[in-house]
Amino acid sequence: MSPPPIDEAELSAILARAGLTLTPEQVKAILPGAAIFRDMIARVNAPLPREAEPALTFDVEQG
Amino acid sequence: MSAILTIAEAARRITARQLSPVELAKTHLDRIRRLDPQLNAFLLVTEERALADARAAEARQMSGGLRGRLDGIPIAHKDIYSTAGIRTTAHSKLLEHNVPTRDAHTVKKWADAGTVMLGKLATHEFAFGGPSFDLPWPPARNPWNRDRFTAGSSSGTGAAVAAGLILGGTGSDTGGSIRGPAALCGIAGIKPTYGLSSRAGILPLAFSLDHAGPMAWTAEDCGLLLQGMAGPDPEDPASVDRPVPDFTAELGKGVKGLRIGVVRHFFERDHRASDATRAGIDAALEFFRKEGAEVRDITLSPAADYHAVGYLLMVTEAFALHGPWMRERFMDYGELFRDRVSLAATVSGPDMIQATRRRRLLCREMAAAMENLDVIVSASQPGEAPRIDSVPKWANMEKPSFTMPFNVTGFPAISICTGFGEGGLPVAMQLAGKPFTEPTLLRAAHAYETAMPWRARRPAMAG
Repeated sequence: MSPPPIDEAELSAILARAGLTLTPEQVKAILPGAAIFRDMIARVNAPLPREAEPALTFDVEQG
Repeated sequence: MSAILTIAEAARRITARQLSPVELAKTHLDRIRRLDPQLNAFLLVTEERALADARAAEARQMSGGLRGRLDGIPIAHKDIYSTAGIRTTAHSKLLEHNVPTRDAHTVKKWADAGTVMLGKLATHEFAFGGPSFDLPWPPARNPWNRDRFTAGSSSGTGAAVAAGLILGGTGSDTGGSIRGPAALCGIAGIKPTYGLSSRAGILPLAFSLDHAGPMAWTAEDCGLLLQGMAGPDPEDPASVDRPVPDFTAELGKGVKGLRIGVVRHFFERDHRASDATRAGIDAALEFFRKEGAEVRDITLSPAADYHAVGYLLMVTEAFALHGPWMRERFMDYGELFRDRVSLAATVSGPDMIQATRRRRLLCREMAAAMENLDVIVSASQPGEAPRIDSVPKWANMEKPSFTMPFNVTGFPAISICTGFGEGGLPVAMQLAGKPFTEPTLLRAAHAYETAMPWRARRPAMAG
């Protein structure tokens, strides 16, 4: 299932929450990439086996 | 035969006292003076340092104290490799005046091996944003056709090696930044196994995906350069503590008995490569078969699965590093870097964890597929170099990359030239192997290169 499209207002709010307070022109410049990236995020979130561990696991002997 | 030497040949002549390291350095400095104004491969030429290095190498040559096959060899470093006392900019306004106090681990290793450092090379901004025309320095141009893209981000290294300005140089590879420029510039470039060469002192893009590796005209030269680069480093937490093999030990053994898998769906279905690229790969597979290798197709997850995981991790890790500067100095970055990395703001915590969980599954999948294989073959780039002024901002997201799967898994991979396309520009293939099997990868690449005519052809401008 395709993720819902992202619009300029939503992207602007998300960027602002991350500390990037951008002008409408700057947000507009990022919007086409955000739409493609949303599909990538959806692909990453496709169902996984419950037991699948992250590739980066905690190591008790950190170097 | 090209007049520009390979590292292997230069080393042979230096050892035999038939070639002066000082004369070799002067020849390359002269080539840089003549050709680089058309290529923009160098951000900084360190002539005094080069001549001092060369004189020291020549003194060792004359006293019988050469340090090995890299002694006296002219090289340069991608400008994200820290060089003590020498400006290191990441091709960015943000580090325009940055002068490190220490060499990167790999820079020091090459210096200790006797290399002659000619300068610092163009990159995409912080190894990600390019080709950009809004940075303090212009992007590197492709020596095969100056209107064409080099690929990135090790763009200056690709251009400088292809044009014979240097005999080898450093690259870094987070999603394909060694293998892409190697492919489009018609040279060889190897991304070693994650952890084989230290990342300490190299400006990071994404810690879990960054790899340091060499680029040169031939696979053999890449092996020689990797020999001087690989090895444990306590300052890099990803560095592996294991003996460094002789990377050129298997050269000349041919491919007889090697088991080669072809990930055909990557370059035929997932992201269809150009006719010339596919024809080059098919001809190479035919060569491998004829020489006694066993060749069969294999299936992995779609390239888009690897690409999505790699890209999400890359921009998110990059934003973790650059966020503080991006919040304060957004417009000091070039448009491509700032807009691409800003996408990380849309990644949630669970998205990031899902990416790392999927990454482990993809690593296992690739390891299982390779259990009974020595090498896997796919494309390196989709075709010949596009025009440098028409690379879309989101090009590296729109279609899945052929190189990213090996950043996600950390497996070693090399790009080598497989001929030329309709536009007269190089095309390439990618050979990948199991972790720490670089000698076997280089063996297969060398067997192919020495049987084909492509290494005798340089860009016309290289003379």
